[in-house]
Amino acid sequence: MVINMKNKYLFGGLIIIVFLGFMAYLFTQSNIKYENDFEKVKSQDKIVKATGSWVKEKSYEIDSKNRLFSFYMTDAQGHEMKVVFNGTMPNNFESAKSVVVTGEFKDGCFQASNILTKCPSKYEGQNIQEVKTSNL
Amino acid sequence: MIGSLILTLAFASSIIAAIMYFMNYRGYNNALYYGRLAYHFMAMFVLVAAAMLEYLLLTHQYSFKYVYEYSSNELPTGILMASFWGGQEGSFMLWLVLTTIVGLVLQSYSSRRGDLEPRVMSVFGLATTFILLMVSPLFKNPFVYLWTEPIFIGIKNINPSLLHLPLVQNFLFSDGSSGQRFVKMNSDLYSTLTAAGITLKEFVMNGKGLNPQLTNFWMQIHPPILFSGFSMSTVPFCFAVAAMMKNDYKDWVKQAFPWLLAACGILGLGIMLGGYWAYEMLGWGGYWAWDPVENSSLIPWLVGIAAVHTMLVQKKSQSKGESIGKFAMTNLILCMMMYVLVIYSTFLTRSGVLGDASVHSFVDPGTMVYLFLIIFVGTFLLVGFGMLAYRWKYLTLHAKSEEGILSRELALFTASVVLCASAAIVLVGTSAPIFGHSVDASFYNSMHIPIAIIIGLLNGLSLLIKWRTTKANDLLKKSLFSVSASFILTVLIILFGGISDILVMILTLTTSFALIVNLEIAIKIIRGNKKMLGAYIAHIGIALFLLGVLSSSIYSRENTIDLIKDEPKTVLGYKMLFTGYHPIENQSKYAFNIKLSRNNKEYEVNPVMYISDFNNGLMREPAILSMATKDIYVSPLGYDDGSTNKTEGKQISLDLGGSADFSGSKITYNSFIAPDMSVMQNGGDFQMGAKLNIEKDGKAYSVDALMKKEGRSVIFVPVELNDANIKIQLVKIDPSTQKADITFSEINSTAAPSEPKEVLTISASTKPFINLVWTGILIMVFGFALSVTRRLKESFT
Repeated sequence: MVINMKNKYLFGGLIIIVFLGFMAYLFTQSNIKYENDFEKVKSQDKIVKATGSWVKEKSYEIDSKNRLFSFYMTDAQGHEMKVVFNGTMPNNFESAKSVVVTGEFKDGCFQASNILTKCPSKYEGQNIQEVKTSNL
Repeated sequence: MIGSLILTLAFASSIIAAIMYFMNYRGYNNALYYGRLAYHFMAMFVLVAAAMLEYLLLTHQYSFKYVYEYSSNELPTGILMASFWGGQEGSFMLWLVLTTIVGLVLQSYSSRRGDLEPRVMSVFGLATTFILLMVSPLFKNPFVYLWTEPIFIGIKNINPSLLHLPLVQNFLFSDGSSGQRFVKMNSDLYSTLTAAGITLKEFVMNGKGLNPQLTNFWMQIHPPILFSGFSMSTVPFCFAVAAMMKNDYKDWVKQAFPWLLAACGILGLGIMLGGYWAYEMLGWGGYWAWDPVENSSLIPWLVGIAAVHTMLVQKKSQSKGESIGKFAMTNLILCMMMYVLVIYSTFLTRSGVLGDASVHSFVDPGTMVYLFLIIFVGTFLLVGFGMLAYRWKYLTLHAKSEEGILSRELALFTASVVLCASAAIVLVGTSAPIFGHSVDASFYNSMHIPIAIIIGLLNGLSLLIKWRTTKANDLLKKSLFSVSASFILTVLIILFGGISDILVMILTLTTSFALIVNLEIAIKIIRGNKKMLGAYIAHIGIALFLLGVLSSSIYSRENTIDLIKDEPKTVLGYKMLFTGYHPIENQSKYAFNIKLSRNNKEYEVNPVMYISDFNNGLMREPAILSMATKDIYVSPLGYDDGSTNKTEGKQISLDLGGSADFSGSKITYNSFIAPDMSVMQNGGDFQMGAKLNIEKDGKAYSVDALMKKEGRSVIFVPVELNDANIKIQLVKIDPSTQKADITFSEINSTAAPSEPKEVLTISASTKPFINLVWTGILIMVFGFALSVTRRLKESFT
């Protein structure tokens, strides 16, 4: 059995088209866009990665019973939103320079499934060890 | 500045080496001697520069920025040595050193194989030149002094006896929001200090240290192995370009093949060690997160493996006398793409384009580095594909492509196509952040199930069919045993494992098929010609790996539980008992003791949590109970010593002046009750806290939420305010930022005050047959090693 040239290219081309189509479909299905304008985040019911920074003045809350962690985030234009994360406070959260949360805006707050913190390397904190460890 | 000078000399030598080797290729016979000389000089300079950097780290020379940024006095020697590659500059140095060493071996290898040396080494010299330019004073130089650019140094790293000198006062700063104090190190301070006769070594006493996630065993071996793989993938690129320079496509396959195999084997080992590191240290329970940094080392590996398969066909068809052999062009492209993708992955992870997308990616290094990396990738693309365009006509004219459908050639080619498809998927997903998009893990996972199915099928099938053509009847006869055996194995796995997903069933079937065919043939070979074993062993490894991936992900069960001290709980079929914790590693970390028991067998696991000095964050390390058939993975989430009754109230974090509402009361943080600093620093007893104002129903109350330190213990004093029906307790307070974490609860909701209970929250999961993931890869790497030795013998012409 020998394949002739023309059929081979036709067959190969077909496979590539199917593959690319499948990939494009899955890409749009699992594609998450970065969004740094919270007005847009609030107006759509799609999962996005919202980038901004934590509003230190409004602090954060830990609900250890329901294992929820919530805080306020702001974008560069000053639009704020409340973020609720189902989990524990991430490492380095307090010293984070910027925060990326993945999730969607629902029922008046941003329901995050993932928090990524970016830390400045310039400053480092100092604290009294006793105070921290007793709260481990 | 000696270090930079030596690197500059190395850079000049590298250019001379590349030019001399190229002149020799163009016919200037004496140039060969100078090319070799220049390359060896370059290698010597690079090794001396690397030794210098290591020496600076080991002797704590904090007057160098790199030493200050990535090491400290406290690091144990092994980790201190590994801090060499803790930052960007150093990891480029590591890449440079390993590439240089690979080049020394390559020079000796190519000098013994005909007229290969000048062509290969001139291209290789181009690669070393680019990496040397990267570590030159223009870009990421590791020998920069601490003061060349202003940098803020925390006062804890400054010699305290020099801090009070009047000349230092102008350089003291404090951060407004956190109250922390810094010394601004710049050239002014340096000249002021020098004028006063103080050296920088006396002034800066300690470095910032290494990120705690890097201070472990794997940091010492994973980066060198991964970068060895990166360095070795330079070689197939050089061979491909060298072949096109001579327009001779016969010898290069034999000569490049052992290098390609070795590069793939070592890169594969490096990737796996990275996965194991993540599994053992990071605590999220997996070994592969499709993180851009992981992906970017996987892409060149997949392309390299694809090249292995089609190069085998070219080699085979050459031996049958078809001058240049089949897939010559495909192989040239794949060998070149492997290195181009290594540089592209460097671009992705080092240029800052993935800034928001990856946990690992480095901080934005600036536009210059960004542009340089683009030029680096661009140059190698241009050199490679420019040569290909130049030889295009010849290559297309001599290409042969008639095959039978049932031929091993076609099966191998299909394997290569499938591997390239996998590389393309990962490449698209990983590059998406450049365009402001990102994909989640489901994109990679759902795309790879069909790919894994085809890989499993081809993995077995290609061994059953012969070169050129196979009769369908022969194939049926030959595969009878393996097909039926794999069906039985799959049915058993489906029944015992309870698989319901049809794709997973098919994947299990094809993987079992691959495993059985390879085992069958390997057993035959052991009795005969042992040097042929390599490929079969590597494929057995891959089949085991795929089975391990399937079982450990699909059958993983996970539970998040609160373990109350001394109260046993049954989790995932095990009785778990939390019995307390003990300090480890000089009191710097805490290990939590959990006893597990099942069927009268007792085990103990010790997950670890600690507050890191490096970033003041809570760090968690999982514990793994490794058994023959599965791992029990215990990841700590949090610990509550019970003194605060946290679960019953609401924890609020307040800055000075901040306010919050709790069940009808408005709480304002009025003032910080400061501790006596001198007593506190001498370890004496003190108290500090927050003065709160509470308003309810128009009435205002003042309450002190205090923490007291008495001897070795710390007490957080609870306060009850009956009029407002509120109970207040401080959880933590930071004297430098004055931020206070306070819990509030209603008094009558906690009518029966319970005994304080220590609670450890953990996430426990089972990972069935995860050992197959590691052993599969190790077996594969062993197979690669066997193949390398075999192909090395064949590489002489």
